[in-house]
Amino acid sequence: MTRIWSWIALTFGLIYFALPLIGTVEFSLRMRRGEYSFDAYRKVLADPRFQETFSYSVVMALATIVFGVLLVVPTAYWVRLKLPRLRPYVEFLTLMPLVIPPIVIVFGYLRLYNTSSWLPLTGTTMGTNLLLMFGYATLSLPYMYRAVDTGLRSIDVGTLTEAAQSLGAGWVTILARVILPNVLVAVLSGAFLTFAIVIGEFVLAALLNRPAFGPYLQLMGANRAYEPAALAVIAFAITWACMGLIQLVSRFTRHGRTA
Amino acid sequence: MSFLNISNLEKSFGPTRVVHDFSLAVEQGEFISFLGPSGCGKTTTLRMVAGFETPTAGRIEIDGRDIVRLRPNQRNIGMVFQSYALFPNLTVGQNVAFGLKVAGASRALIRARVAEMLEMIGLPDLAGRYPFQLSGGQQQRVALARALAVRPQVLLLDEPLSALDAKIRVSLRAEIRAIQKKLGITTIYVTHDQEEALSMSDRIVVMHQGRADQVGTPFQIYNTPATRFVAGFVGALNTVQAEVIDPGTGRVLLAGTEAVLDRALPAGQVTLGLRPEMVSLGPAPGRETVLRGRVVEVDFLGAVIRLKAELGGEVLAFDTFNTSQKAPPRVGEEVSVSLAARDLLVIGPPA
Repeated sequence: MTRIWSWIALTFGLIYFALPLIGTVEFSLRMRRGEYSFDAYRKVLADPRFQETFSYSVVMALATIVFGVLLVVPTAYWVRLKLPRLRPYVEFLTLMPLVIPPIVIVFGYLRLYNTSSWLPLTGTTMGTNLLLMFGYATLSLPYMYRAVDTGLRSIDVGTLTEAAQSLGAGWVTILARVILPNVLVAVLSGAFLTFAIVIGEFVLAALLNRPAFGPYLQLMGANRAYEPAALAVIAFAITWACMGLIQLVSRFTRHGRTA
Repeated sequence: MSFLNISNLEKSFGPTRVVHDFSLAVEQGEFISFLGPSGCGKTTTLRMVAGFETPTAGRIEIDGRDIVRLRPNQRNIGMVFQSYALFPNLTVGQNVAFGLKVAGASRALIRARVAEMLEMIGLPDLAGRYPFQLSGGQQQRVALARALAVRPQVLLLDEPLSALDAKIRVSLRAEIRAIQKKLGITTIYVTHDQEEALSMSDRIVVMHQGRADQVGTPFQIYNTPATRFVAGFVGALNTVQAEVIDPGTGRVLLAGTEAVLDRALPAGQVTLGLRPEMVSLGPAPGRETVLRGRVVEVDFLGAVIRLKAELGGEVLAFDTFNTSQKAPPRVGEEVSVSLAARDLLVIGPPA
């Protein structure tokens, strides 16, 4: 009896999530009247603005990942090693971006870093890009921090640090040669999540007026019929590819470190 | 002047003082054990030498140079941990090479030294393995090789065998000692296992409540314990109350029998200690004091039979060797035991 109900629940869930997706895919294939075709995809991929915005977002995502790793790995390491009592507070702090909407963050940025402030980051393109990257790093902080912190939990940070120190290693060497390689899987899963977030992000990029993929998606959605559906499917595919990579990488290393 | 000098070392964590006024001079090439129960300050003292803890007061000198202000990575000290602490992402060879690489040694030197170290620990073929593919004993040998590869001035071992099973523990301690002797490296070994300390060390420091109760060779520590704690912690010990009849010659009344210790004693009651192996079942040459009583407990341990007998109100534990010709006495049986009064230790009042 309960079997039936769980099957019903499962089917309902599947329909709830899958139906809109199937609909979108189906619609994106119907640009040519009367038959299925990839015309919408061809058009989208050929659009120079798609290529521009997409490569802009990819570069931003990579920069965000590098910045995020450089910020989060040493911080999480230091908190675990020297300030274990502060861990719950730091963790709470890293969760704040989930609670504070991006629109609040970006208005805060604009107030703090506008052209008449003491640090006029929005005055130049480079400065705005930098600001956008900081914003992305903030948005991905909860995922990055959690991933890295979980990775650090699986190794004996304190003793490994002491072992490396007694062998003559300084802090930079310890981080680069001992800590980072051992949490690389965690860092990678954080990086893929960051990538997915940055590719789809709209609010920060739109309000800072940067040519990112999110605002382009919105622009197309407002003006075209079939192309937005194709874009949505592409964005989905990227996100899923990222998640698949997380799975792949974590399975690959779980096999390697069973001891 | 000694090679490693620790003088008046103190350490407090907040209001709790965990190491009190610790001083020790270690000669070059000496193997020293810090022996004591958990919480006695032995690991904290070791970690101060390694540089992982900062002393509240005192000096630590290696080869005449004060190292207290040096960071751990500047001290040139090798360290082996209870949990092995091998780098899980590196192979055995890379682990051993780590310190040399950090020091910027040439590739040829690194290759030669790694091969030499793996040869020394008897694992020359495992350079390409990862730590998780090794047994605990192998991992700890690799950790030893890694610590020694940089040719440190001092080697510190923090309960290196505690996580291993009994057989490996015994074989590995002989191996560690042999390597230490071969390299002639000054070594401090922290353990709570008295057997390890007794079998490996040149000298033992018995620690108790943050103080060094006694420093001496294993023979001295075992046979002439300086404090009640040392007597009780190192080896098994019977304690009996005795009444001093003549303080000058050390004549006492022990379980209703007179015995002469041949040394001056305080008047009144004294606590005397006696190792189980210093008591024989039945008469024995050189053991002139004979006590009579009845057996209250028999523990057959294989090679050794540990007996307990009640003798004039005191219970003494003692050992006899197993023989196939004669069954051990039964509980309740009347026996006589003999001992030499010279072997009795005078135990000071509790600290």
